[in-house]
Amino acid sequence: MTLLVVEGLRVGYGKVEVLHGIDITVGPSEIVALLGSNGAGKTTTLRALSGLEPIRGGGVTLGGTSLVGVPAHRIAAMGLAHVPERRRLFAPLSVEENLKLGGYLMRDKPAELKQRIEIMYGLFPRLAERRLQLAGTLSGGEQQMVAIARALILKPRLLVLDEPSMGLAPLIVRSIFGIVRRLRDEGMAILLVEQNARQTLRIADRAYVLENGDILVQGAASALAQDPRVQAAYLGGVAAA
Amino acid sequence: MSEFIQLVIAGLTTGSFYALVALGYTMVYGIVRLINFAHGDIFMVGAFLGWTVLTTLAATHMPWGIGLLIALILSMILTGGLGVAVERFAYQPLLSAPPLSILITALGVSLALENGVLLIFGPGFNTYPQLIGSAGFVLGGAHITFIQVGIIILSFLLMAGLYLFVHHTFIGTAMRALAVDRDAARLMGINVERVIQITFFLGSSLAAVAGVMEGLYYTEINFFMGFIVGLRAFTAAVLGGIGNIPGAMAGGLLIGLLEAFSAGYISSRWTDVIVFLVLIGTLVVKPTGLFGERVVERM
Amino acid sequence: MKPTMPISAASLGVAALAVAAVLPFLCDNYIVDVALTIVTYGILALGLNIVVGYAGLLDLGYAAFFAIGAYTTALLETLLNFNFWETIPVALILAGVSGIIIGYPTLRLRSDYLAIVTLGFGEIVRIIATNLNITGGPNGIYGINPANVLGHDITAPKAIYALGLVFLVIVLVLVLRLGQSRLGRAWTSLREDESAAEAVGVPTLRVKMLAYVIGALIGGLGGSLFAARFGTIDPTSFTYAQSVTILIIVVLGGRGSIPGVLLGAIIVAGLPEALRFLNLWREFVFAIALILLMLLRPQGLWPARLRRVAAPSAAAAHHTPRAEPAAQVAEATAGEPEMLLEAKGVSRVFGGLKAVSDVAFTVHRGEILSIIGPNGAGKTTVFNCLTGVLVPSAGDILWDGRSLTRLAPHRVVARGLARTFQGIRLFDNMTVFENVLVGMDHRFRVPLLAELIGLPSARRDTGLHYAAGRNWLEFVGLGDKAGLRAGDLPYGDQRRLEIARGLAGQPRLLLLDEPAAGMNPTEKQSLMGLIRRIRDLGTTVLLIEHDMLLVMGVSDRIIVMDRGQIIAEGPPSAIQANPRVIEAYLGTEEEVEDDGSLGAPILGAMA
Repeated sequence: MTLLVVEGLRVGYGKVEVLHGIDITVGPSEIVALLGSNGAGKTTTLRALSGLEPIRGGGVTLGGTSLVGVPAHRIAAMGLAHVPERRRLFAPLSVEENLKLGGYLMRDKPAELKQRIEIMYGLFPRLAERRLQLAGTLSGGEQQMVAIARALILKPRLLVLDEPSMGLAPLIVRSIFGIVRRLRDEGMAILLVEQNARQTLRIADRAYVLENGDILVQGAASALAQDPRVQAAYLGGVAAA
Repeated sequence: MSEFIQLVIAGLTTGSFYALVALGYTMVYGIVRLINFAHGDIFMVGAFLGWTVLTTLAATHMPWGIGLLIALILSMILTGGLGVAVERFAYQPLLSAPPLSILITALGVSLALENGVLLIFGPGFNTYPQLIGSAGFVLGGAHITFIQVGIIILSFLLMAGLYLFVHHTFIGTAMRALAVDRDAARLMGINVERVIQITFFLGSSLAAVAGVMEGLYYTEINFFMGFIVGLRAFTAAVLGGIGNIPGAMAGGLLIGLLEAFSAGYISSRWTDVIVFLVLIGTLVVKPTGLFGERVVERM
Repeated sequence: MKPTMPISAASLGVAALAVAAVLPFLCDNYIVDVALTIVTYGILALGLNIVVGYAGLLDLGYAAFFAIGAYTTALLETLLNFNFWETIPVALILAGVSGIIIGYPTLRLRSDYLAIVTLGFGEIVRIIATNLNITGGPNGIYGINPANVLGHDITAPKAIYALGLVFLVIVLVLVLRLGQSRLGRAWTSLREDESAAEAVGVPTLRVKMLAYVIGALIGGLGGSLFAARFGTIDPTSFTYAQSVTILIIVVLGGRGSIPGVLLGAIIVAGLPEALRFLNLWREFVFAIALILLMLLRPQGLWPARLRRVAAPSAAAAHHTPRAEPAAQVAEATAGEPEMLLEAKGVSRVFGGLKAVSDVAFTVHRGEILSIIGPNGAGKTTVFNCLTGVLVPSAGDILWDGRSLTRLAPHRVVARGLARTFQGIRLFDNMTVFENVLVGMDHRFRVPLLAELIGLPSARRDTGLHYAAGRNWLEFVGLGDKAGLRAGDLPYGDQRRLEIARGLAGQPRLLLLDEPAAGMNPTEKQSLMGLIRRIRDLGTTVLLIEHDMLLVMGVSDRIIVMDRGQIIAEGPPSAIQANPRVIEAYLGTEEEVEDDGSLGAPILGAMA
């Protein structure tokens, strides 16, 4: 049973159309990677899914319910959590306040929310030490942990991650990818946008390669890693050296 | 000494008006980066709404305390609603436009409110009912009225309440969050438009309280009264560090004291010059105002 | 998108001026009087447009300069028997000086604070005029003599109108020339991104000051004209409402757009006259109209188009002498000492946290040196210390044996260090070509006045300047995109434009902060080639980068930082083999992360 179904999605800014009708599916217990060069439309896709960009055409359903025209705050309530590019924490707020805002939609159940925040501190012990520290003063890796924890509080059905590895040292990237894997193994559906193709194809189950607003190739991650078209268009050049 | 105490009390009283109005400037600025130039006129409308309720109730001979409470609450609700309507129709469509466009729109709203009230209530002064009069007590040789004490106490209660609201409720935390990053706030499930409207409602209601109190204190109101209070309150918000709630409170009280002392010891003709010189001097020494945090820009 | 002003707009302007010129022969005195009010507001709005439209600064007290011009003319005429023309230089000087007075304390303020400070300044001037005896207090000054031209007093409305129109044309020409000059470019860059402008060599404080001063001069001129027109002035003409009216003209018309500003003057000064029949409702209707117009046209009625300096064609650029980038840089870098830059014990503390502590390294001439390290290692902080954005808490940075610390960023650029930014910071609403020009204007030696007048020698040098800019665009492969809006470029092109903007100032050292971030492998490959070509020009390159393949492929030497300190330094082969580096940074790259099976369930724990 597929959770997220994207059919013929078209999105644009002003006169420019960025996505020309793309199809994507993501099921439970699956990591789906969306790869592609900058400007291909990866971030735009994610922003359209979570309601931050208006959809011009095509359909998006989450668990059978259409997301087209639904405002972002309602989509969050429907079980889609989006960790945006560059993390976008509330820098002048404390770690704890950031996590509380992740549970904004369960503010009528404070006891349960508190318990879930404690679970996140268990998952990221470094955040527990820094719970009263302002989020803007954390290191890049710690900020990414807050961003992911903040998205997990509501126990989303679909977790959307936009370049979680950006600017992080490889050691931190590995531990973040490790957590993504654990979430997948526990049944969560994950849509992952990444620049870092080699590493991403290693943890993903399936992948799509986006180029200039169209899906160029799709398939099992292991097959895509070997696909000569992908190697030429994406992994080629420096990365193959 | 008695003159000094007299001036301190007078300064704190007018400072309370400025602080309450300054809170509206600072909250709106903090959340949508707009200098709401119509806010002084929202205060003026609050005074007129309070006046309308009080004069209507005067015929019913109900106890003045209850009448005043009704006037305050009705004025807060209606003025708050006006603030929300202004936000919805004049500002919201421009939130992503260049900041100067929305600033000019705010100036247009200010002009429209002033002239709207002028058309309805006329150009003259309207007199507030004398509910409490000048009864009071003597402290250190200074005559202090009950109305002054009431204004100061009520203002401090409202300010404390607002501070607690912003720092210890979910809606308040959401306000601070969306001031930082609107899109990220949406992703948390926060209905951003709603929270912005709540902010405008709160700011406008506080201004309405200030308007009614100013009417009771000075007994006369007219359509142009929002200009000078708006100007002083805006100055207060910047002096305290715009966007900062305790800063607006402190700035308002400071400007009130400054005004009282310059009127008492120098001349009221020079009050504005002194207020602005203090402001400019403060900003030269501390460019983000007294309580403003330094914005570190990442390159 | 044409880089040149379309013929239609220019001819429309000439036609409008012609209509304005024949107006007195066609209309009665009432219309001419309204037209004169429009002309006066036009002059003032063109002046304010420099501050608000060009430089992007807010001014809510512009009427103060108007007042200073008017009162100067009035006082000099009535007290010292100056004639109108003799008062103008004094009025200009006083207005200019007050421009400095208001400019100085506000230069370092955040833009929103300018609103209240300028408003305060305007109120202070008005209150002083109201309270002093010499200015006639609230009653103002009477009996100001009219202007006298060739023995004729200019008193008839049509004659005053003609004089006003001449003033307007003079201001118009000045403003147009300024807009196309390097100062206009600097103002626009300031409006787009102030700290980026400073970091590519624009002396932002001086440029802001000039915006206030030139705006003030024009306001003062308008004031003198105003005093001579009415023969009497009083403080009610110089209120906050007056400042607001002028601001509304600029924004409603279209800030930065000269036809827009003039259109705004016609509407804002003319509409109330047209609405006279509404009586009491007039102001209210005007307010609602203003709100609706801003809602419908947020950019103004006639928005500014892209700036108009056209890039010379590639062919024209190649025909200009000494415009070959390679030759220029080689010349500039000849005969230098081996050591270009030396950082000695540099530390930088942020709120108790040491971002960089005791960092020491040297940069040799002609090398490609990379700084790598995990995020938060302090790499960008080092860059910011080198370029004057930050002052080190301790230590020194020597450049040619002289200290660089405590120099403003634009002075560091003048010494020969240029940079790019981690997040791209172009001037989005300028053309690609103009972005490059901003980066090289600090080397442009033609006096501003000569450029404004358009002296033949200045024109020739300007041509050379433009040709060199063109060549830098070609060097990075953007030659065919010179006229595009910089913000519209694809990502990789924006990165290359940033590099061109840095290179155009012909630095001896170019600092690149994560130039490959977000690039795809093909773009990275061509970036490697570009970095090598930059080095071949004789420009030393200091690079911060996360992409190991790029760093290892291009660097002569590598410095590794971790937690604010240098932990290793050497050639790529040595760095790759250094166990400390591998542990701190590279990890074991090829290994698949394997902590997936560890730990308790995450979601399962949640009720």
